[in-house]
Amino acid sequence: MLRHKLRTRITTKVVAISVAAAALLGTALIFLIVAVTGQRDAARTAFRSQEALAAAGQLENSVITIENGLRGYSASGLKRLLAPVNDALGAYEGQQRRLAQLVTADPIQQARVREIAQSIDDYLGLWARPVIRLANNDPADARSQFLSNPVGRARVEMMRSQFDALYKRERSVIQRRENSAERRSAYAIGFGLGGLGLVLAVATGFTMYLRRSIVTPVLTVAEATGRVAAGQLATRVPAAREDELGDLARSFNLMADSLQHSQAELEHSNAELTRSNAELEQFASVTSHDLQAPLTTISMYAELLERRHGAEDPESGPALVDGIRHATSQARALIRDLLEYSRAGRGRLRLEEVPVGLVVEQALEALTGSIEESGARVHVGPLPAVRADRANLSRVFQNLIGNAVKFSGEQSPEVSIEAKPNEGHWCFSVSDNGIGMDPEQSKRIFEPFQRLHGEEDYPGTGIGLAVCERIIAQHGGTIWVSSRRGEGSVFHFTLPAVEAQREDDRSSAEHAPAGA
Amino acid sequence: MVKRATTILAVLVAVALGGCGGGDSDTAATTTEPARSGPPVRIGTKNFTEQYILGELYKQALEAKGFRVELKDGIGSSEITHEAMAGGALDMYPEYVDLLLSEVANMRVRPRDPKAAYAAAKAFEQRSGFTLLAQTPFNDANALVVKPAFARRHRLRSIADLRRLRRVTLAAPPEFHSRFEGLIGLQERYGLKNLKQVVVKIPGQYSRLDAGRVDSARVSTTDGQLRKGDYALLADPKRVFAANHVAPVISRKALRSHGAKLSATIDAVSRLLTRSAMQRMNAAVDIEKRTPREVAVEFLRQNGGQP
Repeated sequence: MLRHKLRTRITTKVVAISVAAAALLGTALIFLIVAVTGQRDAARTAFRSQEALAAAGQLENSVITIENGLRGYSASGLKRLLAPVNDALGAYEGQQRRLAQLVTADPIQQARVREIAQSIDDYLGLWARPVIRLANNDPADARSQFLSNPVGRARVEMMRSQFDALYKRERSVIQRRENSAERRSAYAIGFGLGGLGLVLAVATGFTMYLRRSIVTPVLTVAEATGRVAAGQLATRVPAAREDELGDLARSFNLMADSLQHSQAELEHSNAELTRSNAELEQFASVTSHDLQAPLTTISMYAELLERRHGAEDPESGPALVDGIRHATSQARALIRDLLEYSRAGRGRLRLEEVPVGLVVEQALEALTGSIEESGARVHVGPLPAVRADRANLSRVFQNLIGNAVKFSGEQSPEVSIEAKPNEGHWCFSVSDNGIGMDPEQSKRIFEPFQRLHGEEDYPGTGIGLAVCERIIAQHGGTIWVSSRRGEGSVFHFTLPAVEAQREDDRSSAEHAPAGA
Repeated sequence: MVKRATTILAVLVAVALGGCGGGDSDTAATTTEPARSGPPVRIGTKNFTEQYILGELYKQALEAKGFRVELKDGIGSSEITHEAMAGGALDMYPEYVDLLLSEVANMRVRPRDPKAAYAAAKAFEQRSGFTLLAQTPFNDANALVVKPAFARRHRLRSIADLRRLRRVTLAAPPEFHSRFEGLIGLQERYGLKNLKQVVVKIPGQYSRLDAGRVDSARVSTTDGQLRKGDYALLADPKRVFAANHVAPVISRKALRSHGAKLSATIDAVSRLLTRSAMQRMNAAVDIEKRTPREVAVEFLRQNGGQP
């Protein structure tokens, strides 16, 4: 339980930090939104107040226009002076309505607008319209009203003071709103900057935390992995932490421990193998060499035995000695082949550019006796030059051609040697029309001392193909056979093409004539 | 949330309006008669003390009887106020009968007595869709006064006696100069050529007279200053100055819609208004500086137990 808790600590921390950062940012954002919204509201209210001021100004202007127009009309009797009065009389109700709509948010201003509306009604009903009627009858009557009892002016003055109170309050509203808008702008900027700072701080802190507690340990492990890959298996990382990265470090150390352990074991068994191999080869060559001497001695004694006592039992004596001699020579051949096999594929290859045609010629020359004896016909196709050990390659061809001639069955052997290029290597084939073999036997024939036939039918120790396999493998190629019983065999082997090998020492081979 | 805010706002508005719109007119009314309905009776007054008092008297009496009243005081001259009636802005206003005939009806020939004047004025109003209610016992005529000592010294009883004096200074408002009820009538009817007008603004004539800077002054017979006998009123046998009883001009439409109770209430108030009563009330406002409303309420309470 505790272990599980400790293991999830980084995840928990990351989640906790993310949540805290999100909460902080969210809070800053909410403040910002509130501030901006408030500012917008304040600006809207201020704008509304401006409109209210304008509407009130128009209304007041209408009243003053009416009063002045009436005075002018009464004084002069000129009807045209009534035109602006009539315009104002037509317009004032709309202006009044508009003003009332614009101050709906402020009960005090609403009350003022009602008062003003009442004053205007009184002014019009109790002064302006009576004056117009009087003047229409006799301008002098109206004129005397302006001179002796100018109530209209007093009413207008009263309305002006009512308007002034309205303006004053509306302006103070605007001022207040503007102040508030400015304050809120400042808040908004503050919250914005604060939020930005917060974001930067959180990001920096988070990055540093990640770096300190995750990236650095991971890099340490990665670096250590690189060192291990480079072979420094003793590399270990500190694993004191109690979280996921601690687990990683511990696993890494465990892995390094196990790697180091297996490598040590491998090295040990490798050395062991090398030593026992060398001993074995030593044993084989010493043994085969040492075995030669007693065999020679045995055949010498058999000779002596025949010469001295051959006459004592002329019937069976020579035959017994012959048996001894035959067995001895067979043992000698076995020992020779064993020696050859143990040497094949060992030692250094003397690689040179070898024209395969020449090598085949040499092999055929060495096999002249058996070829002539069997009456075989050998066909050699065009052959390339490869980079190989000449002696070894010659031994491969001798073995393969020799086998083709040897396992020929009833008819006279037809042997064909060809080569085909194939993706960076040459594929050589030695085919015959001999007895062939079962496909399931085709793997077994490359193992040492494996024979498909009795010694009486086809002489030989069964080491040839095993030697060939070793040599081709040492050259980096493969050897296989495709055959069916009674239908002849085709032995294939590959060798790296000389062009591909030339790639390595292009500068020296560049000017050599192609296909030399 | 929004709904709640709106409700609160509505309540605030209602409170604010209630607080502002109330004024003094409401308080007395609410104490007396709660049941008020129908359109208000819109009473107008001209803009001087006696008219303010008359307006309050009618208003208080009507409100006590359960009428809703809008008092539009200080409208201005007779011409303007009557035109306001004609324009439908008012339902009634108290008017001076002779003034109505001369200034509004533009009658050049003055009726021979107050009764005829009232009949003529009523006939005129009825042609305009209005009518006159009963006129008051008091009349507010222009008149000339001198100090009692001056009267005794020169044995002055009537305006005609002024002819004996070589030169008489007279404090009067500006329009006195060019009106029949002024220098023109006095000259025409009494042959007074020795009058010298000193232009004053009312009520400045009393202080001029008290200070001895003028010999006489033009006053109104209901002026509060006259109630204690500090001034001697000169008789006007040739009737230069019209009687000017007060009669409410009222629209017949209002009478129809409010019924007989309206005219009965107004007439009951008018009947109480004697010259001395009017002088006392004018004095209370002009000299004692009480409000027309207070004075009207007090008067009604003392005369008939209402409001």
